[in-house]
Amino acid sequence: MRLFTLELKRILKKRISQILMGLAILCSLVLAWLPSSYCYSTGMDAAGQEVMLTGLESVQYEKARQAAASGLVTPEKVKAAVETYQACLQKYDVTESWDLPPGVYEQEIMPVAPLLHGVKEAFANPKTGMAPSIMEIDPEKLDDWYSLCNERIVSLMTMEQPESPAAQEQAVKMYESVKKPFRVHPGMNTASLDYQNMLGFLILLFCVVMAAPAFASGYQNGADDILRCTRHGRGKIAAVRIMAALCVSGIGFLLCAGVYIIATNAFFGWECVQTSVQMMYSIVALPGWRVGQLQLFFAGAATLSVLASVSLTLFVSARCQTSLSALAVSLLLCLLPTVAAMTMPGEISTWLGVLLPAGGTGIQASFLYAATDFQFLSLGPLAVWTPWAMVAAWLVEIPLFALLTVRVYCSHQPG
Amino acid sequence: MELTLSHLCRRYRDKTAVADFSATLTPGVWGLLGANGAGKTTLMKMIAGILEPSGGQILFNGKPAEKLGEAYRKVFGWLPQDFGFPPEFTVREYLIYVAVLKGLDREQTVARIRELLDEVSLTEVANRKIAKLSGGMRRRVGIAQALLNDPEILILDEPTAGLDPGERVRFRNLLSELAQDRIVLISTHIVSDVEYIATRHLLMKDGRLMASGTAQELTELVCGKVWTCRQKPEQVPALENRLQIIGLHNEEDGSVTVRYLASAPAVSGSCPAAARLEDVYLWLFPESAGCGKRRRFS
Repeated sequence: MRLFTLELKRILKKRISQILMGLAILCSLVLAWLPSSYCYSTGMDAAGQEVMLTGLESVQYEKARQAAASGLVTPEKVKAAVETYQACLQKYDVTESWDLPPGVYEQEIMPVAPLLHGVKEAFANPKTGMAPSIMEIDPEKLDDWYSLCNERIVSLMTMEQPESPAAQEQAVKMYESVKKPFRVHPGMNTASLDYQNMLGFLILLFCVVMAAPAFASGYQNGADDILRCTRHGRGKIAAVRIMAALCVSGIGFLLCAGVYIIATNAFFGWECVQTSVQMMYSIVALPGWRVGQLQLFFAGAATLSVLASVSLTLFVSARCQTSLSALAVSLLLCLLPTVAAMTMPGEISTWLGVLLPAGGTGIQASFLYAATDFQFLSLGPLAVWTPWAMVAAWLVEIPLFALLTVRVYCSHQPG
Repeated sequence: MELTLSHLCRRYRDKTAVADFSATLTPGVWGLLGANGAGKTTLMKMIAGILEPSGGQILFNGKPAEKLGEAYRKVFGWLPQDFGFPPEFTVREYLIYVAVLKGLDREQTVARIRELLDEVSLTEVANRKIAKLSGGMRRRVGIAQALLNDPEILILDEPTAGLDPGERVRFRNLLSELAQDRIVLISTHIVSDVEYIATRHLLMKDGRLMASGTAQELTELVCGKVWTCRQKPEQVPALENRLQIIGLHNEEDGSVTVRYLASAPAVSGSCPAAARLEDVYLWLFPESAGCGKRRRFS
């Protein structure tokens, strides 16, 4: 325990650690504020003049306008929203809402807009996936709104996973277990979670930068020669360094995620966390979570991803002779899932995203996007939803890379 | 207590750094002498367990060191040639860190650090970062860490490098005090550093043990090979070309006393001189005195 405390102190005393941790907290606050700063809407002032509202003012204005839509998403409310929309567009003889005269959208459509989310998607063509416009939808069919959604997940999975009946079956089962009716509490948008993802990626990089010199710097400056000749200078010091690095990264990441979630929910309003994931992402998204749960599960999963990445980084550090090479290889491994997602065909990038530790917090490949997508890993008759496969992979990788690190460190020979 | 080095070898891809090195070290100060590149550091790293021997064995009291593992490292102190340290530590923090790694408890740690800081005269800079200390001070931190666990085997690789003359003397005195009941092996190519404090010496060349023994035993190897003669200054350059000159001393009368190594007197008027350990070293490593010819004891 004494050694662990000293090792923690050693990490925290480094200038680079102090700078990165300060920066991480700052990023958490700034990134939490940014999505709200981009919001804008057009409102009317007391004199009836059109005014442009931005930032938190806009968020508050829209929430006030949409207060009636807030709560349970019942078929009746969805039907009424569609009828309102259609009546409005017919009144002004237009086919799309952006053709409406200034101020009309804000007055008539905006109050029901949250309830229109997913309506077009639910009526998408089962063969082509093309969604109709709301004007083409028969409101009478909305009486059975949730049955339509159930049908949609079947057709969607047939399109997404045509080769895997197991994946189709599992997706349908998952969706059936999602609690309905959904809930919606207007205010928050997906940008807030995208920024949480970006924060995760940044902090992942910070953690990797802090962990990369753990062993390699000792090899490089000769400090390791002295330490490994001491009584506890082999397996024990390696284990303690791993635990300390994981501890600093894990606690640091959770702290930043906590700051982010508290700040973003404070900006958008805490009631928004009650919104069903389906009312923010696809109407047939598979997890039966509320937005608040998604924030927490994502933070937890990303922590595991960061811990697995740090564990891999420590392994790389124990293998490399210099801090720079350890850092370069580790950063490359962090970027690989993102590069794979951008450049490789679906199946390969999905597997890489699952297997590479940084796949949970990449810019384009992350637990968040996997949780709101419909990807399954197919292994013969088995189909595993990718977010679960990711979590399982990280739970295996954290101890695996840690053990390999101890082994490599103990058998290290100076070059 | 004895440390046996049995037929130790260390080969790298294209080079043999240590070849068939055997010696048995008993308590006392041992000087490991050899020119740069002789294999001293490689040998010491093998003894420290940092490098695995390509062949041979290290036995501590008859038991293989690698099998003893923690028990061997517990009685071991090591100062490498290049003293590396985590740059974020102060002197005291670093010593606490190493003390904990060496298995000292809290009370022992505090007492031992206080004692050692005093012995190596670092008490005043105990709370300064090691990175901000001078080379000599850093070296003393290195010596202090090696002594933390009061080791039975103390291996010091070029411990006096970077120390000023005063620090060198203090270090020699400290080592003399420490030498009781422990094996101290000091590698150096500065003969005077170990000449008086080491009880026995190991002379190493090209990875091999060339000779070993007390200073007296070793100097006998060059007995009758050390000569002095007086020459005019203008004659010295010619002598330098044909003799292994190991010392020149300007006399008050304007002449120069030349001290040289040769199997027989090579200049008329030469007198035999008393051999010193340095003469043995230069006889064995003529290249270190600028002479290309190599000698080997049969």
